[in-house]
Amino acid sequence: MPSVIEISGLRKTYRKLLRQPHNALDGLDMEVAAGQVHGFLGPNGSGKTTTLRALLGLIGTDGGTMRLFGEAVPRRLPHVIARIGAVVESPQFFRHFSGRLTLQLLAESAGLAPARVDEVLEQVGLRDQAKQSVKGYSLGMRQRLAVAQALLKQPELLVLDEPANGLDPAGIHHMRALLQWLAHEQGVTVLVSSHLLSEVQQLCDSMTIVSRGRRIVDGKVADIIAGHSGSQLSVRLADAGQIREAVEVLVGAEGGVSVAAERERLVVTGAPEAAWVTKTLADAGLYLSELTTETKNLESVFLELTGTAPQAGQAVQVGQPVPGTEETPAAAATAAETAIGGDQR
Amino acid sequence: MNLFKAELHRIARRRLTLLFGLLAVGALLVMTAIMWFNSSTGPSGADLAAAQEMADAANAQYETCAADEDYFAAPDSEYSWVEEDPVLGEMPHEQACAELFWGDSQPEDFIYVYTFQFDQEGVFLLIGVAIVTGLLVMLLAASAIGAEWSSGGMANLMVWHPNRLKVWGAKLAAALVLCAVAVAAMLVLAFALLYLTASVRGDTGTMDGPWWEHTLARVGRTAVLALGMTVIGSALAMLGRHTAIAGGVIVGYLTVGELLVTFVRFGASGIKYPDLLSLYTWIGAWIEGRMRLDHWDPVTGASDPMVLTATDAGLLLGAIMLVFAGLATWSFAKRDAA
Repeated sequence: MPSVIEISGLRKTYRKLLRQPHNALDGLDMEVAAGQVHGFLGPNGSGKTTTLRALLGLIGTDGGTMRLFGEAVPRRLPHVIARIGAVVESPQFFRHFSGRLTLQLLAESAGLAPARVDEVLEQVGLRDQAKQSVKGYSLGMRQRLAVAQALLKQPELLVLDEPANGLDPAGIHHMRALLQWLAHEQGVTVLVSSHLLSEVQQLCDSMTIVSRGRRIVDGKVADIIAGHSGSQLSVRLADAGQIREAVEVLVGAEGGVSVAAERERLVVTGAPEAAWVTKTLADAGLYLSELTTETKNLESVFLELTGTAPQAGQAVQVGQPVPGTEETPAAAATAAETAIGGDQR
Repeated sequence: MNLFKAELHRIARRRLTLLFGLLAVGALLVMTAIMWFNSSTGPSGADLAAAQEMADAANAQYETCAADEDYFAAPDSEYSWVEEDPVLGEMPHEQACAELFWGDSQPEDFIYVYTFQFDQEGVFLLIGVAIVTGLLVMLLAASAIGAEWSSGGMANLMVWHPNRLKVWGAKLAAALVLCAVAVAAMLVLAFALLYLTASVRGDTGTMDGPWWEHTLARVGRTAVLALGMTVIGSALAMLGRHTAIAGGVIVGYLTVGELLVTFVRFGASGIKYPDLLSLYTWIGAWIEGRMRLDHWDPVTGASDPMVLTATDAGLLLGAIMLVFAGLATWSFAKRDAA
């Protein structure tokens, strides 16, 4: 499948007087294939919005290349912009204009048919509020209006930054159905940046996870989650006092197996299979009371890959790495490559 | 062209545009009403009768005074102070009476009638209307662009139109068209109202060929000034990316800036023509077409004049406008949006 978005080695450094330069993007790579809903995930400050801004020509970059529909941007952006609908950051509009007027002005500026305005208002569920001033809109309604303006051009590529922000559960469901319909029925490629991991898990076909301005992993959502699940076993012993002995037995029995003792249970990773744990412990005279396979969700994969998983006894600020895991993104990427499936870079 | 039309609609549909429009028309109507009620083609019969009565009374009092040499010296005279007055006291008695009671008063001396002369005063009012309209459109243009930056609308628009020069050009063109239409409309309305006022309540005067030529030249240059002000207002909003910054710079210059220029003007003995420091001097020269500045020799008292022409003023004011427009263009093209 051809790539609609190709980003390679993208760099962006923000410089301010009397402040340390901040590398928002540090050699980011990303590819989005046509006709897919692609999730763009990363902790706060990881460079998602910066990437989208750069892609849409709102900010300059300090290195790297970007292509949209095979055309180099931002130089050729005016030639492909008619094929792109986008919402970057929180949707903001002139407060005193109605939703319809806001869309009419945009449609007029691009020479689109006025009838298209009512079509997109209907699509996003804002038909009845179209005459209201935007200042009376809730955050969710503004979000819908933003998506409506992105849909006005009947784009081949839809770029949405946190589209579910402010939406209620029904709104999220509606938005998900709309985006999937656009991608799978209309052939629109959709790039969605989001913090709502469960939403991405339900909505997206593929995804790219970034951290500190670099790609950590990309691939199909199912492959990335599968690459992280199944190898972690939770073990409880009939006699909790034998936990230390069990750790020694398991670690000594096979290389590559790591065992962590957590209160009254063991967490075993890298074991060939669950039966091997049962047999090894039984042979040593240690008997199990419980053995479960822990399946990871996208959230745990995301937290693990971006190094933002909370640790017992350690306070971690949102978007900041866990103390002691502050390896470079490159190192994190390398570690991830050896640990999981999917296309880790 | 589509973008230009959309920008024109965007600025025309703003509430502030409607508000400023109503404000400008309202102010024009108030000005016309003041002229209407203050102006008169001549005194009425009642005015003439009252004036005649006052003139007769004054003349009678003068004659009484002139006929009585002891008029001021009488013990119960309320004018006993005249004899001790250093000026009146030295005058011959009759002259003092004439000074005091307006000897030989005529009814015209007691008629206070203002007649609005359109051919002389109307042009100044038209120039004032054009300048005020220009100021309002300057603020309107700055507000429209500033509000788009602060509301996030500008970034949104750039996602639709990534060619920034095209966006800036469309916005500037829309503001200039609005300014031209607003100034023309206000001038036509002001001309009609003031001419009507002069026709009914005053005097239209002599509006011959030379008058039209001179008036159209001055009003035309004022309209061009209004367009330049709109460019500067738009450029300031584009540079500051906020209405308040553009408005602050404009109001700041008009108040503090000119105040500082005045201080410098009074304190700068080394500058031969300190009036050149004030922008108002150049604006005046531009509108009037010619302005004479004098340097008085402190020893001989002789004048060394300097003449500013409309060309001189146009070059300076045009350069200022181009600098702001150029900075705004460069800034918009190069700076990150958001």
